Amino acid sequence: MIKKFLAVLLVFAVFGCGQKKSDSGAEPEVSRKRAIPNAVYGDAVVVSMLGDATGLIYNITSDSASHDVADKIYNGLVRYDKNMNIVGDLADSWEIVDDGKGIIFHLNQDVRWHDGKPFTAEDVEFTYKFMIDDKTPTSYDADFRLVSKFEIIDKYTVKVSYNEPFAPALISWGMPMLPKHLLQGQDVKKSPLLRRPVGTGPYKFLEWKAGDSITLVANDDYFLGRPYLDRYIFRIIPDTATTFLELLNGSIDIMGLSPLQWSKQTDSNPRFTSQYNKHMYLASSYDYVGYNQKKPMFQDKRVRQALAYATPKQDIIKGLQFGLGVEATGPYKPGTVWYNPNVKKYDYNIETAKKLLAQAGYKDTNGDGIVEKEGKPLKFELITNQGNTVRTSICEVLQKSWEKIGVKVDIRVLEWATFINEYINKQKFDAVVLGWNILNDPDLYDVWYSGNCGGQKLNFICYQNKELDEQLIAGRKEFDPQKRKEYYFKAQEILAEDQPYTFLMVPNALVAVSKRFNEVRPAPAGIGYNQEDWWVEKDKQKYSFQK
Amino acid sequence: MAKNRLLGKVKGSYLFYSGLAVVLFFIILAVFAPVIATHDPTAIDLNNIFAAPSAEHFFGTDELGRDVFSRILYGSRISLFVGFVAVGISLIIGVFLGLIAGYFGGWTDIIIMRIVDIMLCFPAFFLILAVIAFLNPSVFNVMAVIGLTGWMGVTRLVRAEVMSVKTRDYITAAQVQGISGRIIMFKHILPNVMTPIFVTATLGIAGAILTESSLSFLGLGVQPPTPSWGNILTAGKDNIMFAWWLSMFPGLAIFVTVLGYNLLGEGLRDILDPKN
Repeated sequence: MIKKFLAVLLVFAVFGCGQKKSDSGAEPEVSRKRAIPNAVYGDAVVVSMLGDATGLIYNITSDSASHDVADKIYNGLVRYDKNMNIVGDLADSWEIVDDGKGIIFHLNQDVRWHDGKPFTAEDVEFTYKFMIDDKTPTSYDADFRLVSKFEIIDKYTVKVSYNEPFAPALISWGMPMLPKHLLQGQDVKKSPLLRRPVGTGPYKFLEWKAGDSITLVANDDYFLGRPYLDRYIFRIIPDTATTFLELLNGSIDIMGLSPLQWSKQTDSNPRFTSQYNKHMYLASSYDYVGYNQKKPMFQDKRVRQALAYATPKQDIIKGLQFGLGVEATGPYKPGTVWYNPNVKKYDYNIETAKKLLAQAGYKDTNGDGIVEKEGKPLKFELITNQGNTVRTSICEVLQKSWEKIGVKVDIRVLEWATFINEYINKQKFDAVVLGWNILNDPDLYDVWYSGNCGGQKLNFICYQNKELDEQLIAGRKEFDPQKRKEYYFKAQEILAEDQPYTFLMVPNALVAVSKRFNEVRPAPAGIGYNQEDWWVEKDKQKYSFQK
Repeated sequence: MAKNRLLGKVKGSYLFYSGLAVVLFFIILAVFAPVIATHDPTAIDLNNIFAAPSAEHFFGTDELGRDVFSRILYGSRISLFVGFVAVGISLIIGVFLGLIAGYFGGWTDIIIMRIVDIMLCFPAFFLILAVIAFLNPSVFNVMAVIGLTGWMGVTRLVRAEVMSVKTRDYITAAQVQGISGRIIMFKHILPNVMTPIFVTATLGIAGAILTESSLSFLGLGVQPPTPSWGNILTAGKDNIMFAWWLSMFPGLAIFVTVLGYNLLGEGLRDILDPKN
């Protein structure tokens, strides 16, 4: 499933989001149904979220809490498997036709909505029209607007066409499908489905206690076979310290740990070690400092490079992340095919940083410790969101470190909604510490294309570079992975040279999972991708429910 | 002699003395913070984070390796400063409105007191939270908001005192001589209602310090890296299972200071109460 927004607020809470069901192999007709030898039904999994969901229609929400819940309720036509390959979900198979300009999806014929109505091509058409409707408040419409023609071939076959080849097209159909019979002609903002969703997914909605919990129940009629656990319970606990106490208490089953909890508070605590296993893998996200290109001081490349040289990335990873992460050099995850290891690096060097600032014309002429150019001191405000202590600490480390090259920084830590609505969306900031999720498809169009500069858009720092634009456009049209890679390698070189962001780090995902679950197997897709396969032996089951 | 009687009462008041000692102690700490502090309160040492209390770091270090002892010292400056200024603002508004309401009575009184009632309808802390959410969190906004939302008690108190004082013969005498209302209010009435104001102000400082700490704890008060007892506690809360010193010492500082001002206030009340 796609996840594009800045949901990285809850960096700890994001794990394995979006990857569903077991890896089913190549022969869909025979082996897609779930079958784990010896597995039994029963029990439940309890997870925690830092914030309440805003609504449970995936397509029109963009916060990670809503997505984590909705993810269990809906399916798209395709999805990523555990190794991040695209496989069928509601579609059994597909064909790429017309020289890459068309896709024909063959839908599974056994799928039913949670209310019993069959899922058909009409629902796919409805979802497509819903996504491109100007009245739909969604941030995920861009890919669908590129569709030139949508045809229903028969009840279980659809064809989509594009004017020119579009590489991310296939995975864009991982967007959850919505029920036509419940949403047709309705105002989606007032739809009861926002509070009582109806999907096709492995779990059905049961109950939502606002600010307290959301409970899902296993879908007996799920077309890939009922999940083994009876219930999926999301508890809303707005604070990581409290969440950790609940974990030690045994009242939640999965938690994304902070680096501190991981390294200092788990192994030594028998209450933890007796109940949980720890899993660590490189997270699909990175943290960065973004410089608003509309501010004159950040328009000079040398200033951005100087700030990069004066950023002690290694100290940040060692000190704040307890070494649980790696340096980021660009927008891709180290170790993946798209990652270019040979870009310009900015090893911490105060002298080089000072030289670059001097070349850019910044000198401390009045002896106050802050460098000036034409009488204007180099000082700015660095903002970040509340609730992520690592980010706040990063700000403080940067403030101290940049002070050494004569740059004065004021820090402002803002509540999430204010941060996004008043500062980011209105481009009312100088520099920002934030994170992005790294998607499996290398397309960087949304975040880096010049035309996406502006409030509400994802290129909110307004970085505009014609050379980069060319790479991004070409990369979108190219299907051959080898050729595509070249475009994105070049793009990474441009970004590394220009430093519109100072890329900080790719943290590790640190997850504790209750020992009673079987089939927990971390993979490149994270840990939750096969959650429907998790099961618990009868004598170890903790919760039981009446039918 | 009245003066001797007062002195006698001061001597006997343990409340007053212990409160005064605590308050003076923290004022001295705040004033001489740069001299007493063993480290720069904002100096980051990422190789030495969460160090337990030791001879080098009396109160240990925090999540960025900063010295907690020095941070608490500097934090006391913020706390005291906010306490005094916020209470100062409350006093100016409260005393002024109370004097007017009590002295003039009638419609003036009714309108002012209804405004007081309306303001008191809001739970104070939530009102402050709401206002801070609109403004940007900073030391000055915190002081202003605490001051501007804390004057109602003072107004009520001053009004009641003024109403009893203004019926005294010397006020009537002044009025008969044609002295203007303003002069009567400020020269003749105000000095005679100072006693309860003094007590309220002392207790108010304790409240203001506590409010500032709460706001900073919630991230709406003093912004990092400026140390404040409240924002040191925030870091402490996240690590309480493991770095107890981060919660314990700022917590103690708040507790003792607030207790000190309360003792001082109570002590003053006992001493100045003519019935005792």
